[in-house]
Amino acid sequence: MGRLLTALRWIVYVTAVVALNFPVIVTLVTSLKSAGELSVNPGLWINQPTFENYLGVLQITDRLNIYAYLGNSLVASLIGSLLAILLAFPAAYAIARGEFGQRFILPTIVNLRAVPLIIFAIPIYMMFQVLGLLDTQFGLGLILTIVNVPLALIILVNAIADVPIELDEAARIDGASTLQIMWRIIRPVARSALTTAAIFGFITAWNEFLFGLMLTTNNAVPVTVGASFFFAASGGGVQWGLASAVMIVGALPPAILGLLAYRQIGGSLTAGAVKG
Amino acid sequence: MPASPATTSAAQRLEWRLLASPLLIFLLLFLGLPTLVDLVYSVSQVDFETLRSPALSGFSNYLDVLSDPGFWEAAWFSLRFGLVTAIAECLLGLILAIFLAPLLAKRSWLMAPLMLPLMVAPAMIGLMYRLVLNEFVGPVPNYLFAWFGDSPAFLDADTAFWTLCVVETLQWTPFALLLFYAAYRSIPDEVRQAAAVDGAGAWQTLLRVELPLMAPTIGVGAFIRFIDGFRVFDNVYTLVGSGPGGSTTSMSIYIYEAFFKNGEIGKAIAASVILFIASFGVLFGLIGTARRRTA
Repeated sequence: MGRLLTALRWIVYVTAVVALNFPVIVTLVTSLKSAGELSVNPGLWINQPTFENYLGVLQITDRLNIYAYLGNSLVASLIGSLLAILLAFPAAYAIARGEFGQRFILPTIVNLRAVPLIIFAIPIYMMFQVLGLLDTQFGLGLILTIVNVPLALIILVNAIADVPIELDEAARIDGASTLQIMWRIIRPVARSALTTAAIFGFITAWNEFLFGLMLTTNNAVPVTVGASFFFAASGGGVQWGLASAVMIVGALPPAILGLLAYRQIGGSLTAGAVKG
Repeated sequence: MPASPATTSAAQRLEWRLLASPLLIFLLLFLGLPTLVDLVYSVSQVDFETLRSPALSGFSNYLDVLSDPGFWEAAWFSLRFGLVTAIAECLLGLILAIFLAPLLAKRSWLMAPLMLPLMVAPAMIGLMYRLVLNEFVGPVPNYLFAWFGDSPAFLDADTAFWTLCVVETLQWTPFALLLFYAAYRSIPDEVRQAAAVDGAGAWQTLLRVELPLMAPTIGVGAFIRFIDGFRVFDNVYTLVGSGPGGSTTSMSIYIYEAFFKNGEIGKAIAASVILFIASFGVLFGLIGTARRRTA
């Protein structure tokens, strides 16, 4: 009976993994088929695996420049994740230690995640037009910062609150200033939380689509938006193998980061929900 | 000479404010200012030519939005989509979390493949389903044809809503699973043992002890998923856009299309403000209840 139940659990587990990842599996399989094979074999089996689609993707440089899309995503996501931490860390320190902002500021910022960002999109579009930030990697990075701030803040506040306050007090007796305590005492202790916030912010930023779609046209198009061009632009119908390879390449950076840091990511995904 | 406690704490308070100020200024600039612009433009006559010099025009934009059947259809789509997907994700996530708990507890890496969908951009997932559901190269229609001799239209006006619900649910069930699994694991073993001593069977323990202890987490999870479902944009947009006959226009897509496709700026902004008021109403309601509960 016990063994039967365990077998059943494994069956359910494997079924769940396949069902939840089905679109990714199909795309991966399709990306490894030649155009000829795909036209006669749309199933999940590959007769003759080939990397020609990936080679094809890497050779595109004229119209749809995958390198540029990936580069834009990389730069904007780095800005979006690092700037969010740079802004949130001192604020988190003040909130965790200063009896400050806990009643109104913290809950408001944390719950910003519950606000549909589209409501700010049009004014931001207008502001960016005035400031010359439309279609720039920096402009997109600024918006991705906003997207990342709430979760970065809650992760860091929780982490700093867990640091014993005796550490601060001892340093203060030794004559350290608040800034020195923050940088020399808190930052090293909270390093894993900072890393988690950075990784999670990078993944979130890389996967963002709405603002990439609205705020970029040419020079700063991120890969989430660029990938959709492969479905719309080709005159002779969609080149499915090529488009699949593009999607796999575009999905790979956050997927690898996420799988490497799945424990921390899981923790931060649930952190806001439990303590926010 | 030691400073008096009063001045120390005043100086200290100033320091805390200074530390928090970069973040607050940033948010005021990129969220506060846009809110203000939203409010002013929502009561103005504005088009792309007069973008920087809006003329006040009263509440006609709001009347335009509120009398537009498209707005109400979008609100209804978002509401249904949010409810259906939140319930489906939480139910599936809860069942998987509890049923798979013995496996996951022994081999925690098993969680990683389950979490993978959370790492993929929803926009990409939407594109991937174009392939999955394509009648020539997609495996789903092909297997259905091979096995049953027929394959339904997945993305016509009648079926697109449910197809999108499945797409959304399959991507975000792992979120609920992760959240509920953490809650399930955090129930102390003594509680289960006490229930066993009292003669409760596995089902009774689950229904009378474990689920009630998990209820707050389930509530929070359902709420987060509802909000995310309500504001859905990426996967719907990349898979079907606003759908046949506008049948999959969510609130976010409605605002996006009013602005970028139709150039109805005033209408788009008035709809934004209505959504803004609704979501902040919910938000502060929640903060208020949370505070009363802890107070």
